[in-house]
Amino acid sequence: MELILQQTVNAISLGGTYALLALGLAVVFSIMGMINFAHGELMTISGYVLMYCGILGVPFTIAVPLAVLAAMAAAVLMERIAFRPVRNASGATMLVTSFAVAMILQVLFQNLISPRSQPVLLPEYLSQSISVGGIFIGVNKLVAIVATLVMLFVLDRFMTRQKIGIAMRAAAEDFAVARLMGIRANTVIAGAFAISGMLAGVAAVLWVSQRASVDPLMGFVPVVKAFIAAILGGLGSLRGAVAGGFLLGFIEIYLAAFLPSGMQAFREPIGLSLVILVLLVRPNGLIPAATIRAQKV
Amino acid sequence: MITAPRVHIVFSIGAIIVVILGVGVLSMLSGAASERIATVFLISLIAVTGMGIYSGNSGILSFGHLSFMAIGAYAASLLTVPARMKSATLPNLPDWLAATELSLLSAVVIAVVFAGFVALLIGLAIGRLEGSAATIATLCLLIIVHGVIIGWRDVTRGAQTFFGVPRETTIWVAAAGCIVALILARMYRDSKSGLRLRAGRENAIAARAIGINIRRERLYAWVLSAAVMALSGALMAHFLGAFSPKKFFFVDTFFLLAMLIVGGMTTITGAFTGAASITVVTEVLRRLEGGFDLGALQIPPIFGTTQIGIGLIILIAMFRKADGLAGLKEWEERVFAKKAKTPALSGAAAATAVSADSPTLDARNITRRFGGLTALDNVSIRVAPGEIAGLIGPNGSGKTTLLNILSGVLAPDAGTIMRGDRDMSAIAPHAITSFGIARTFQNIRLFPTLSVYQNVLVAAISANQSKDAERRVQFALGRLELTDLAQKDAGTLSYGDQRRVEIARALACGPSLLFLDEPAAGMNREETDRLMQTLRALRDELGIGVLLVDHDMALINQLCDRMVVLNEGRLIAEGTPAEIRKNPLVIEAYIGRTNRGKIESPVPLHGA
Repeated sequence: MELILQQTVNAISLGGTYALLALGLAVVFSIMGMINFAHGELMTISGYVLMYCGILGVPFTIAVPLAVLAAMAAAVLMERIAFRPVRNASGATMLVTSFAVAMILQVLFQNLISPRSQPVLLPEYLSQSISVGGIFIGVNKLVAIVATLVMLFVLDRFMTRQKIGIAMRAAAEDFAVARLMGIRANTVIAGAFAISGMLAGVAAVLWVSQRASVDPLMGFVPVVKAFIAAILGGLGSLRGAVAGGFLLGFIEIYLAAFLPSGMQAFREPIGLSLVILVLLVRPNGLIPAATIRAQKV
Repeated sequence: MITAPRVHIVFSIGAIIVVILGVGVLSMLSGAASERIATVFLISLIAVTGMGIYSGNSGILSFGHLSFMAIGAYAASLLTVPARMKSATLPNLPDWLAATELSLLSAVVIAVVFAGFVALLIGLAIGRLEGSAATIATLCLLIIVHGVIIGWRDVTRGAQTFFGVPRETTIWVAAAGCIVALILARMYRDSKSGLRLRAGRENAIAARAIGINIRRERLYAWVLSAAVMALSGALMAHFLGAFSPKKFFFVDTFFLLAMLIVGGMTTITGAFTGAASITVVTEVLRRLEGGFDLGALQIPPIFGTTQIGIGLIILIAMFRKADGLAGLKEWEERVFAKKAKTPALSGAAAATAVSADSPTLDARNITRRFGGLTALDNVSIRVAPGEIAGLIGPNGSGKTTLLNILSGVLAPDAGTIMRGDRDMSAIAPHAITSFGIARTFQNIRLFPTLSVYQNVLVAAISANQSKDAERRVQFALGRLELTDLAQKDAGTLSYGDQRRVEIARALACGPSLLFLDEPAAGMNREETDRLMQTLRALRDELGIGVLLVDHDMALINQLCDRMVVLNEGRLIAEGTPAEIRKNPLVIEAYIGRTNRGKIESPVPLHGA
């Protein structure tokens, strides 16, 4: 029982990080129909900002907002430089463009910073753990869970209460009509990228605080997982992305904890096969996006 | 079997053989290093072609195809590695496999068949996914197969290098494999299945409406492309002699996708162009990677120059030519565009009349809701054989929804639809043509990059077991006066012409009942009059019934035997045009009551 509780905490923590990343992908996808492969590189940028702040002795409480801001700025720049020229192209064209951007950034990190993994200085308290009702919870896990919940709450408020948030939801339903209503395409798309950058930045801080290191490919693996989570939840659906992220987190952690040791080597294939199994039952994801049903013939 | 003109296929195959052999001869003449580069180029070209068979024709980008390359490499290698070597490196191999020692050719054949079989199983599972979800599922596939190879140590040596593979892939072996792969891919592109799949890529809803089962065609392409990938993988393994699972993961996926996309993924010409240009650029950049002197300037070694270079090439290609350097057409399709004239209309082009006892369409109590909106509320409609029925109503009254339900695009929430004594209430969209029904769409849904001829042909070969398809094509093109436009790309035509192509495409299905959704929209008076004559002739000569939605009251009044009026999802009137013109409910629906409560004259109702 304790083991299950313990693993559940781990699963929520990991799933929350996936959820934030998947949500970032979904915000952009819902508006542009673009799968941003370079989302992971936003994470990596945040990771490097944390690393440099540690080296320069910047306090962690300042380093974190700096890291998140850096990811936001990078996301907006990325859109302006690389994605705007292909904005109205097919989904495949945009996907391939972002794929190329990701590859270029990875090589730049390798050359300009270091091809190797670099340590990140973290405050002591993150690596401690506290005991709650007999189970030990790492402070970093707890922070991750709290941060995820806060982010989800803030984003929900933003999308339902703020003018630009509502404009973004309108654009996700029907971009052409939203523009006719006077919503500026550039503002909405830049806003979407800023939000996705912010979510990637927060996810990066959480990710780094579990590992205390950063490398040029840091963002790649979690973002591949986030793609899968976004699809699992229903591509373009924000609530779906969150659900998919948590489900994937649970699948991974429980398989790692409870799969017999002889089969641990096949953990990842088994986990992803489960994902595909879910998709076979629900081809449009757990919570399909509203636009899927509304296609006009 | 092949739908393209013979001259295209002959020249294409000829060029493939000459160019690939040319690459072989050239590389032989310029030394061992270039022979290696050329061999890798040819093997990569096989892989790019394999990816193109699926991604190009279906329009679904795949990240997972290197899984099949890996399966081909491991399967073939396990069969060719000498038994003594295997007992040392893979002691836990099952006996039958450990003792097997096959020649390269038989090992490749077995590996290709095996990969095809695996692809069939996987394709059956993930074939249900569409668009980006399908792409990400292929990404899952890549990770899954990679994980299985690493985990299955007894057979694959896990993450360690698999070595001792006989290095039997010479430049000529690679060239032979490449010629086979390219010809296969070229033939598939213009096979019936390939043409259907391309139609599905261009417009899935229209493709289903002419009887194409997209999922099935996709599965064929998936299996064929996996087999070609396995060929590439097997040859690669026997060229390298030693490889690890990393060889078939993200980095190589990136390089091969770059070739596919830069060249243009829908053609063999594009695959060759992409593979050649990326190979050249890679070789040049690789030389620069170690650093070089530029006069006084010393450029330090930059790690990953090739990756950056290729990334930039992809960006430029996407910004400038999103369809790739070769575009959407094969070279021979451009060069011999004129020669591809359709065979002249012969006397045989007359279509057979629909048998007089073609069944009645009888829809009863159809209800359909979208969320809170009831688009259709308990609507019943009959269309008798050989009848031209008009369906009118104000905007938003449910006309198109009713057509969509009658043609199987949407399922009704309640109600039954019978064609004669056959129930068609819950059929798959692509089964509609087997009920003798074909349709056009309100928002034109052509296959824009296919020619007019191909648009019509693909309908003829997909509906009704493709019996005498060619005759139906000629008949439809002739009747709609499209013979002169036959070789033009459908997307380049004027609006009115596009409408006529849609009708010709529906007619080529050989229907006994046509649904036309605003066929005259965007046509001028003259074109509308000609369309009216054509429709009347089809009914009088062939007995084809028509259910017509339009706002052009002149058209409806003159053409229809009977009219059905919808308003706010309900059927409010039914009768001859003269009766409908006098019906107060209809007038109210269109114009509303005047202040005095007197009813205004209903004609003209809608700009007629």
